[in-house]
Amino acid sequence: MSEDFEPKIVGFLCNWCSYAGADLAGTSRIQYPPNIRVIRVMCSGAVDSVYINRALLEGADAVLIGGCHLGDCHYLNGNYKARRRMVLLKNILQTLGMEPERVWVRWISASEGQKFADTVKEIVDETKKLGPNPMRDRWNL
Amino acid sequence: MEEYLLPLIDGNASRTVNKMLKSLLKSGKVSAVLALQETPSGRSAFSAMVSDPGKLDTNVFAPTLPVSTATMVSRITKHGGAKSPVLVVLRSCENRALTELFKLKQANPVNIIMAGVDCPGTFDINTYSNFPGDGTPTETVFDEKEKGKYMRSACLSCKDPVPSRVDITIGIFGADLKKGLYISASTETGKELLADLKLGKFKDQKAREKAVKEVRERSDAAREKQIRDHSDIKGVDGIARFFDTCINCHNCMNACPICYCKECLFDSAVFDLEAGKYINKAKSKGAFKTPTDSILFHITRFNHMILSCVQCGLCEQACPSNIPLMDIIIPIAENAQKEFEYLPGRDLEEQLPMIFYREEEFEDVGER
Repeated sequence: MSEDFEPKIVGFLCNWCSYAGADLAGTSRIQYPPNIRVIRVMCSGAVDSVYINRALLEGADAVLIGGCHLGDCHYLNGNYKARRRMVLLKNILQTLGMEPERVWVRWISASEGQKFADTVKEIVDETKKLGPNPMRDRWNL
Repeated sequence: MEEYLLPLIDGNASRTVNKMLKSLLKSGKVSAVLALQETPSGRSAFSAMVSDPGKLDTNVFAPTLPVSTATMVSRITKHGGAKSPVLVVLRSCENRALTELFKLKQANPVNIIMAGVDCPGTFDINTYSNFPGDGTPTETVFDEKEKGKYMRSACLSCKDPVPSRVDITIGIFGADLKKGLYISASTETGKELLADLKLGKFKDQKAREKAVKEVRERSDAAREKQIRDHSDIKGVDGIARFFDTCINCHNCMNACPICYCKECLFDSAVFDLEAGKYINKAKSKGAFKTPTDSILFHITRFNHMILSCVQCGLCEQACPSNIPLMDIIIPIAENAQKEFEYLPGRDLEEQLPMIFYREEEFEDVGER
């Protein structure tokens, strides 16, 4: 892989936790790679597979779904449901041989600015090892 | 379970079953029968809702599956359950699909009595209507040597040809078809219905069990072979190649008994962008294919329906581009259903995997 590959990451972050965690990372001036594009969602359980599939097919190098810690969901159990949905999504991508490892799920609370920054850094490092998403330059998808 | 022998009439299994259905209808215990009936031209067969015994002219073994009867029951009970008992005759895949639709609350089980037929298989709609073989399609499907030539791939690798969650089973496997058919009642409703027919007992349980086991093993082996033979449909380019001829018509979705959403996301205005956005979309990759989002449609559809997929193959039959969809759907369904230890159509009480959760499970997803 070329040295200067900078992954593009799409992050779907829960309004009540991970999004606030990302905000805290910013206000606390914690440095983290600028590779992530954040989309605020009301719950990780509201992230349908279509959003993730779309991001991947459009060429996102990784997708992060950030939700509340298990047991802490603002809507009681959205993150448990999100977990099942992500297991299914990854299982299907695995069968199709379409790199399920590009899909990341993390539980990050509103107070975990540092964890958010570390998570982004980890995703960037791992995705650099993986290389660019091959779907990025396929016009026929 | 009560097991009976239904004596053969006129040497014809379909007519024998028709006579039985007719006496059930005449008894008044069911107000209508929904079962496969050949059209007057003989070119097709559709499930017909029959209340007049004189108009009952079914052929439950006609080897064609133009639409799933499960979908029809869903439509009939859309505005509430049936007011009086309806006997619905289903193939095993339709039986599984209807069970899933009950669970998805897309069909109402009230007053629906299910009779399942042992399914010898079905042919593609056009193969059935312009049948190239020597005998009739129904004769051919009882000919073990001949039928393989015409069967749909989904039927060759059928998930289970024996209906398992029914009130009444109309069986051919393990029965000496020169003498009669195997009939069983597995619920109180079924027992009550069959009691009046005064049938003799079915005695050769061992032959029945052996035949059921064999037919299941045969289709399991065919399914495993199909998965092995098509293990190359993988990776971005493999998947893109597989769907290369897709015209994004959504026929697969419309034919699918499980895909029930009244307003599908993919039929909505979500994908209607203004011209400027299309130009931006082109700029992001340099080019894009129209119609857009075909592969997004398929992969997302798998995510939405695959756990309830009964492998009936109606998607494949509906495809105008003849994409062999079962080659990709079978491995996806098998793997996903295994992950959640879920078998669609097995049990009405078994919860759909996507509507419940356990606190302690899948702990590798979410954290390192």
